[in-house]
Amino acid sequence: MPKYDKMAYASADEMIFGSAKNPVKYGRDFTVGGGYVYPELVPHPRPGTESTKKTLVKEYEKMVTDVLDRCVGIGIPGIQIELEHVYQMTKNPEWGGEIAAATKHLQEDYFRKYGLKSAIRATIADYRKPDEEDIRNSVALENQLKTFETSAAGGADNLSIESVGGKEISDYTIVRQDIRGTLFGIGVLGSLDMEFMWKKIVEIADKYGATPGGDTNCAQANVAMFMAGGYQDRSVPHTFAALTRAIAAARSLVAYEQGAKGPSKDCGYEDVIIKSITGNPISMEGKTCACAHSDLLGNLVGACCDLWSNEAVEYHDMFGGTTVAVFAEILGYDVALMNTAIELGKAKDLQQMMVQSDKYRDTHGFILCPENAYEIGKAIVANNTSYYARARAAAIKAGELMLADSKLQISAFEKESLESAMRTLESLPDKEEDFISECADIYKKLIPGFTLANYGL
Amino acid sequence: MATVANYANIFVRYDLIGSGAAKGAKVSSKDSAMQKVLQCVLEGDSDNIVDAVNEALATKDPMTVINEGLIKGMNEVSRLWDEGEYYLPQAIVASDAMLKGLDICEKKLGKALEKKGTVITHTAEGDIHDLGQKIVNALLRANGYNVIDLGKDVPVDEVVAAVKEHKPVMVTGTALMTTTMTAFERISKRLVKDNFQVPFVCGGGAVSLEYVTGYDLGVFGKDASEAPGMASDAVNGLNWTQLREKWNS
Repeated sequence: MPKYDKMAYASADEMIFGSAKNPVKYGRDFTVGGGYVYPELVPHPRPGTESTKKTLVKEYEKMVTDVLDRCVGIGIPGIQIELEHVYQMTKNPEWGGEIAAATKHLQEDYFRKYGLKSAIRATIADYRKPDEEDIRNSVALENQLKTFETSAAGGADNLSIESVGGKEISDYTIVRQDIRGTLFGIGVLGSLDMEFMWKKIVEIADKYGATPGGDTNCAQANVAMFMAGGYQDRSVPHTFAALTRAIAAARSLVAYEQGAKGPSKDCGYEDVIIKSITGNPISMEGKTCACAHSDLLGNLVGACCDLWSNEAVEYHDMFGGTTVAVFAEILGYDVALMNTAIELGKAKDLQQMMVQSDKYRDTHGFILCPENAYEIGKAIVANNTSYYARARAAAIKAGELMLADSKLQISAFEKESLESAMRTLESLPDKEEDFISECADIYKKLIPGFTLANYGL
Repeated sequence: MATVANYANIFVRYDLIGSGAAKGAKVSSKDSAMQKVLQCVLEGDSDNIVDAVNEALATKDPMTVINEGLIKGMNEVSRLWDEGEYYLPQAIVASDAMLKGLDICEKKLGKALEKKGTVITHTAEGDIHDLGQKIVNALLRANGYNVIDLGKDVPVDEVVAAVKEHKPVMVTGTALMTTTMTAFERISKRLVKDNFQVPFVCGGGAVSLEYVTGYDLGVFGKDASEAPGMASDAVNGLNWTQLREKWNS
């Protein structure tokens, strides 16, 4: 059941990069949201190195060393490194644990020698298959939980995940522009699965003294956003993707209701809405993640970040060094600019520049600029009677905001897509049980393997 | 709060250039029942296609309903998508409606329409991200291909065994991660070793042209929408090197 019933901030104007109401301290003298922004570097191993534990551990040792060397080379005060698990690191729990331990060993060495502040996030791969197995009692789940344990024991400071509950529904509905099913898959089923998963993740984090971080809707809202793509793409309407993002905010909030503390996962673009509600620090990615994917809010999305990330960069050589070193430097200078603005008392000015760069570039940036994100947050907490009610309210508020601002230009097709979705959202039942019953009838017939039992229903 | 008076030097909304009111479909039928079938396909209306097809079948033979209603409608949807008037969801829901209507017609015919060819699709071992594969499946089926969907996280052995059993005109592989796409190369080696020269179209997420064209049989699929065209070429006799030359050069 939803718990948040009020906003952490009195207004959007209070929200700024580098500061969160509830800072988190862990790792090697590393505080997130305590007044300054730090980079979060996400290295990705080269294909083929995942074939054995030995080659993969070695790959990570090289990548982490390159990152830390670049930090001390150009004076970056601190860094978080995310170990975003490739499948093999979670399927084989000892691999994930050993890589966390190797990373910690290196970070401790640089902390001892140079005083470089640092921390580790381990993001476990969620490879459960909701349409093929009992996701509450599967080998995949068992491995994932073991890997949370080995990672925490190995030295991960922050435990995170990109959970996939409801993906069997949203994969079907996003490509059919079906907002009802998308609301069901993300807002209801995704939330229920997170409630189940995060109770377990928080227990493990507490057992090992690690911090339960956060959960991104990468598997659903990011699918919609990436498919919406750039200006010339015609896969999913951008307005539809923006509604999906608002729904995702209500869903990803569940982690914090179950005890997660943040900083959130970097690819959770919905996290600015979550920060407005929880006051917990967030990790965000924008222009610096162009190495992994393109988006239309490269500057704006940093407006309230506490960690600034690159999403994932595969390990290769560039003229300026290896990719991970190069991106550590890019992130380092980005946060140096933000922290300089903080020191000079100009943070709000820089934030405005970030926002104005992208607010009207596309619908996603528009709904995630601090003032609109805050309004969506208010709709979520004002409708906390059920996961369904608040997710639906978030989508409706996002739609209203898009339709109300004449500076946001929308093509005729995109506008019709939005208005059609809004008509559907307005026509849905008020009660969650009625909505679940309606959707169960529809999607059981359309999606082989879909079962409510996977969600405790 | 400072406001920007002119965004023109900050960004350009290229998506709005030339975007106007939709021109809509160009196909129609003088027969009112057939027009309903066409309309259901064009609008992706799976709720009403059954009634529309049954109404048309009351006065027309199944092949006429298929050719003049379902396929004609789907061809128009493809045109609208190609010209940017429709987005992918419109093509997918049209395909859903068309296949539902086709099922009724085939029952009336007493047999399934002959397929253009068989394509095996799968998502790589260790990878559960199969949305791209699902889109490929839908587009291939809508274009008359028999699709054998092996699903997601499919072991290399299973893909190889399926190729040996079904002898498809084309195989596809989808992967989001670079660390799971390596299964494609293992599949390729196994197939080549056993003298199977079937085009193996691989794409998705981080899969790159450079990687896919680095092993035998591999043809890079940049976008799911290319799948029907590639399958058509394979049916028409292009081998994997010719497919690679045509689609990846």
